[in-house]
Amino acid sequence: MKFARETAIVGIGATEFSKNSGRTPMQLATEACIAACADAGVDPKLVNGMSVFSAEKNTEIEVARNLGIPELTFFSMIHHGGGAPGGVVQQAAMAVYTGVADYVLCYRAFNERSWHRFGSGVQGRHQTPEAFDISFSWSSPFGLLTPAQWVAMFATRYMHQYGATSEDFGRVAVADRRHAATNPKAFFYEKPITLEDHQNSRWIAEPLHLLDCCQESDGGQALLITTVDRARDLAQKPAVIAAAAQGVAEDQHMMKSYYRDDITGIPEMGVVARQLWSGSGLGPADIQTATIYDHFTPLVLPQLEEFGFCAPGEAKDFIADGNIEIGGGLPINTNGGQLGEAYIHGMNGIAEGVRQIRGSSVNQVPDVENVLVTAGTAVPTSGLILTQPD
Amino acid sequence: MTSSTGAAEVDPAEQAAKEAFFAELVEMVGLTGSPKVARDPVNVATVHNWCDAMSEANPRFRAGEVAPPAMLNVWTMPGLLMGEQLPRDMSEPQYQVYTKLDDAGFSSVVAVNSEQVYERYLVPGDVLTQTTTLVDVSPEKATALGVGHFVTTEVAYTDAAGASVGSVFFRVLKFKPGTGRRTTKTDPKRQALLDAGLDPDELMPAKPRPKRPMPQWNQDQAWHWEGLRARELRIQRFTDDGSLLHPPANCNPATQSMDYDYIVASGKATLYSYTVPHYPQIPAFDYPMVVGLVELEEGVRLITNIVGVKPDQLEIGMPLEVCFIDTHDDVTLHQFRPAAPAPRADTLVASAVAVGDRLPLASIPIEPRLIISTALATRDFQDVHHDVAAAKAKGSKDIFMNILTSSGLAARWIGDWAGPDATFRRLKIGLGVPNYPGDTMTMSGSVTEVADDGAITIGFTGTNALGAHITGTAEIVLPDAGATGEGSGA
Repeated sequence: MKFARETAIVGIGATEFSKNSGRTPMQLATEACIAACADAGVDPKLVNGMSVFSAEKNTEIEVARNLGIPELTFFSMIHHGGGAPGGVVQQAAMAVYTGVADYVLCYRAFNERSWHRFGSGVQGRHQTPEAFDISFSWSSPFGLLTPAQWVAMFATRYMHQYGATSEDFGRVAVADRRHAATNPKAFFYEKPITLEDHQNSRWIAEPLHLLDCCQESDGGQALLITTVDRARDLAQKPAVIAAAAQGVAEDQHMMKSYYRDDITGIPEMGVVARQLWSGSGLGPADIQTATIYDHFTPLVLPQLEEFGFCAPGEAKDFIADGNIEIGGGLPINTNGGQLGEAYIHGMNGIAEGVRQIRGSSVNQVPDVENVLVTAGTAVPTSGLILTQPD
Repeated sequence: MTSSTGAAEVDPAEQAAKEAFFAELVEMVGLTGSPKVARDPVNVATVHNWCDAMSEANPRFRAGEVAPPAMLNVWTMPGLLMGEQLPRDMSEPQYQVYTKLDDAGFSSVVAVNSEQVYERYLVPGDVLTQTTTLVDVSPEKATALGVGHFVTTEVAYTDAAGASVGSVFFRVLKFKPGTGRRTTKTDPKRQALLDAGLDPDELMPAKPRPKRPMPQWNQDQAWHWEGLRARELRIQRFTDDGSLLHPPANCNPATQSMDYDYIVASGKATLYSYTVPHYPQIPAFDYPMVVGLVELEEGVRLITNIVGVKPDQLEIGMPLEVCFIDTHDDVTLHQFRPAAPAPRADTLVASAVAVGDRLPLASIPIEPRLIISTALATRDFQDVHHDVAAAKAKGSKDIFMNILTSSGLAARWIGDWAGPDATFRRLKIGLGVPNYPGDTMTMSGSVTEVADDGAITIGFTGTNALGAHITGTAEIVLPDAGATGEGSGA
């Protein structure tokens, strides 16, 4: 991976996270981007690249107009929703490493609670005879319509194959909310939950309880990426990108890859993991803390397995032993994750990775050298390893 | 009538009249009718009709060796005489009670319980005699169906030698039509229109139910959806290597060959995974609903609905079979329901059965043909079991299954599990909600008792979309392991 350790995230900026921002998504995007530039000490007019989700409705040209950016030499979009955050950073890193841009903004901003509720799924989606719409015909007419339901199908099989239980998923929900409880930006700030709360929360789609599900949130998060060379002159300690990767695996479907021989793993995350380890020269033992994408608790478990923190089927024991909590072997989602802080499509989890490198997290893990950040599961996905500068 | 905010006020004169009426009914309890000899002997043709209608495969019944025990009531059923329902024989005590109740306005009847006791299996040529005793009449009860009295009879059956072959306890509810408890609250807006003498159906027509999300297809997959319209489950097959793929693609991922056709899947599958969606609820679906990932026996998986099963009955690996549902004008979808394994050829041995063993779930589609053919096979010619208009006139939404069929289907399902040489001793059932056409009844149950003599008791229920249609217990005797071998007792 030629760009390994050559680029860095140098600025992070976000709006508040809420259930009702009271502002437009475009306003949120603008605020987040200005904040990221300010954090880095970079004049927004120096930004000449944009890399965003194709799900992003606030287009790069709108943001560029607002920020008075005179020219963009690089703009790119990554598909597949929550699978994109590591991918947009990878695009930015490659762009600045190759010199097609100097400073690249990546951002995500929406009102996915107060405007369109993201958890409501695809029941009313526009239908055309194009391949993407047709892919829903194999599931939507049967009432399999929401992300929670899509994930639940994997979860039931995982439980059956490995003897995992709802409590095993619940321990992820409890750990993330415990971390959120000390994060003033988090929805679950000062609201830790117990395993009993998790078990008593209502069903969303069996075997998923309400507390297995992430937030629906309003908010914006932006990241500014440039080269390590430029980063030396900026305001913050850079979070160096040790590796960045995307992954799609054989017979990939959008959250419904149910047709592979085995559906208890996440092979596309395995594709990401192999690239991150080989690209960075690091391994599981080198990671002090991680942002493990947590839209729904059950798919946190096979991610830990795909990255080799534990063997297939053993994540439930790894979690039950306390590893994922502050003070454990691999504290995850120290901002509270998307279960506890906010659901900003994984971009807030990258920002938390940057804070862990800087030493500024509200739940700072001691002596952080390397942070793993993963993106959405069951979709074509991506990931990053952030590391300390030399 | 005076209004009351507390308990219903009872008119003393009315109460006294009720008590006097009930006393007259009770006076008849214990009366026994005269013996009635069956018109025809136990015969193979009638057994065949029963087996055909019930899908009863037991080779001992089909060969005419013995009659299905659940047919005990059938041999002495009065039937139709020259196209007319036979008049009530007023020497029979139950008919005296029924007539008295009819005259007092308790004109509707519904069977609620049956308990058959079998002392020996009947063989062709047996000529049965039945003798009926009135066992009990209940005080007036307010039931969901209406205000009425439960009437219990016991029918004793003897053979030509006068030996007892079995008996049947039978309980019916005789009730006043239109006096049932209101099961759903009337919408206040509708009530206001009714009170004003207006027709709420005309002024507040029900909104049509939203349809399911519509599948979208193009010429690449049209053959699949056309297949479903023809009630075929078509799966893409690449002709170069015979491999199957679902969801279909444009070329063989292994070879890039674009030559494909399809197979028609057998419809046999097992459950691979599932979810039970609770929130958000979509008006097009009935909840609880189950979305399943099933693996066809041909090897591919697909998303479908699992129907005729409660969520707590789902087990990964359970056998399923395809069925179909029309959801839009030009769309049919596949669905899967529990499939009972094929009837056992070798009979279970008692030592292989333990308390808690679950019988395989079995879905029984309730089609009009099943209701009518089984009513006739049980020689029950009540119009509510074959005549839609007559059933509606009696307050039913459609024709419905008769109680002898419910017993017969339960016995068939248990026999399929236990094997052809299982001997039924007793079959006791209670009826709940009716089995209407278009519904599916799913049988489920487990072994509740294993006695030292090899007798085992099975508790079971048959549920449909409305709830429990049948709840009961069966006592059967299985051969013990030693008895089937030549060296038993060695």
